[in-house]
Amino acid sequence: MAIRDDFPILKREVNGFPLIYLDNAATTQKPQVVLDAMNDYYTSSNANVHRAVHTLAGEATEGYESCRTKLKEWFNAERAVLTSGTTEAINLVAHSWGRANLSEGDVIVLTEMEHHSDIVPWQMLAEERKIELRYVPVMENFTLDMDAYAASLDGAKLVCVVHTSNVLGVRNPMEEIIELAHSKGALVLVDAAQGVPHERINFQEFGADFMAFSAHKMCGPTGIGALLIHPDVFETMQPFMGGGDMIETVTITGSTYQTDEHKFEAGTPRIAEAVGWCAALDWMSTLDLKKEHQRLIGIGRWVAAELRTLGMSVYGRHEKQDSAVVSFNHPTIHSEDLAHLFDARGFAVRTGHHCAQPLLNRLGVSGTVRASFYLYNTMEEAELFVQQLKEITERFG
Amino acid sequence: MTYPEELSELIEEFREIEDKMERLEMVFDMADEVIPYPLERWDDESRVLGCQSEAHVHVELDDGKVLLLAGADAKLVQGLMGILSIAINGTAPAQALLLSPDFAEEMGILNTLSPSRSNGFRNMFDKVMKDIRGLE
Repeated sequence: MAIRDDFPILKREVNGFPLIYLDNAATTQKPQVVLDAMNDYYTSSNANVHRAVHTLAGEATEGYESCRTKLKEWFNAERAVLTSGTTEAINLVAHSWGRANLSEGDVIVLTEMEHHSDIVPWQMLAEERKIELRYVPVMENFTLDMDAYAASLDGAKLVCVVHTSNVLGVRNPMEEIIELAHSKGALVLVDAAQGVPHERINFQEFGADFMAFSAHKMCGPTGIGALLIHPDVFETMQPFMGGGDMIETVTITGSTYQTDEHKFEAGTPRIAEAVGWCAALDWMSTLDLKKEHQRLIGIGRWVAAELRTLGMSVYGRHEKQDSAVVSFNHPTIHSEDLAHLFDARGFAVRTGHHCAQPLLNRLGVSGTVRASFYLYNTMEEAELFVQQLKEITERFG
Repeated sequence: MTYPEELSELIEEFREIEDKMERLEMVFDMADEVIPYPLERWDDESRVLGCQSEAHVHVELDDGKVLLLAGADAKLVQGLMGILSIAINGTAPAQALLLSPDFAEEMGILNTLSPSRSNGFRNMFDKVMKDIRGLE
């Protein structure tokens, strides 16, 4: 049975044409097992987690906590905080680690390749604490300038770097980046939102201190993500959101906090989403991710080559470790017009700055069209996409 | 919503087209209706914020009637500017202000008109209306 048969949404039509969904770097579709798991949870187990003894609360707690357990297994991590997604996970580091460990004159190294979610929290903290931010440039071959990176580490306390670019699909040399940072005494936060859907990362072997990612980019629900934290670093972090569930005791004169991950999970958490994410991970564990990744980057490379032949400007290199993201611009049709024209034929592609304006500034463009491929996409869809672009060019170019 | 006659006819024409790509092509053709706002006059004052494309509008009074000058790099936005021009150019400001942005949805051009940072048309429409109010 083909992977795509598990995804009911792929059977629908858009504007009278079969949906061809190529906006996977923004969010992925959900297999039936995820939809069923969330529906089952609300249908038969819905309750608030943790502080209750009744059966439903027990089932809800088990469902929620099993997500954490599964994440720890999947990534070989000792600490996994559940967040609303990558953005909240990065903000959590800025508030909980940054405020406790950074002060005036300290240095954070970022890159021009970062998503806004890995830039803005640091700019806010930098303004508050008078911290210096250094940006590693992206070179013309769409990779990070590693010499500039090495030079930028002098005096750095933290390096924040994207695992795989959501615009270029380029997978950064993370192992080298982490090793260099650690050799200079800096911690490393990895934005792995685009990395974990394509690569099963062993967090402990990887060596990063923080790793942030979202469920919805790997067939799970929206609204939930995680922050993996090295256990030593975990102990140096302070809670920043106060409320229910994160405390040990509360009196009118003060409170004490939980000591495990719950201290960062104030309030009622995303229970159904955790249950759904569990189901997504179970579903993904039945696949050979390495093989699928090879298949997908093969499709991405083919599309990129075809687009270049057709005269498009393509941004990215599409090597074997990269993800199947093809960002491009048409020589005569504006990216926004092109996306509307694709939509008219059932293709979902994204346009705009992809929340990475510094990178687009470096590329010298204000926006691109982005086609991103995932597990359920086929070579046939890629061929139809290229064919559609030819037809649009003939008619509107 | 009652629209000016010319716009109502246009909405009907658009509705008769079943294929979305054809409708888009027709919008693109409406770009010819735009009175160009010269590139050298494009500035922050004329910029439509939140548009994926670079879009600029300028409204002035010509003999007491509304005159929209506009420009954009995306053809769809230019076309929508053209349709808006048909709807408001030559009308009294008070009359122009009665226009609802729903026509773009009724024409089957845009999927949603909800105000959001990515809805260039809605942002453009709101800015034009605000500028017209400023003329009164």
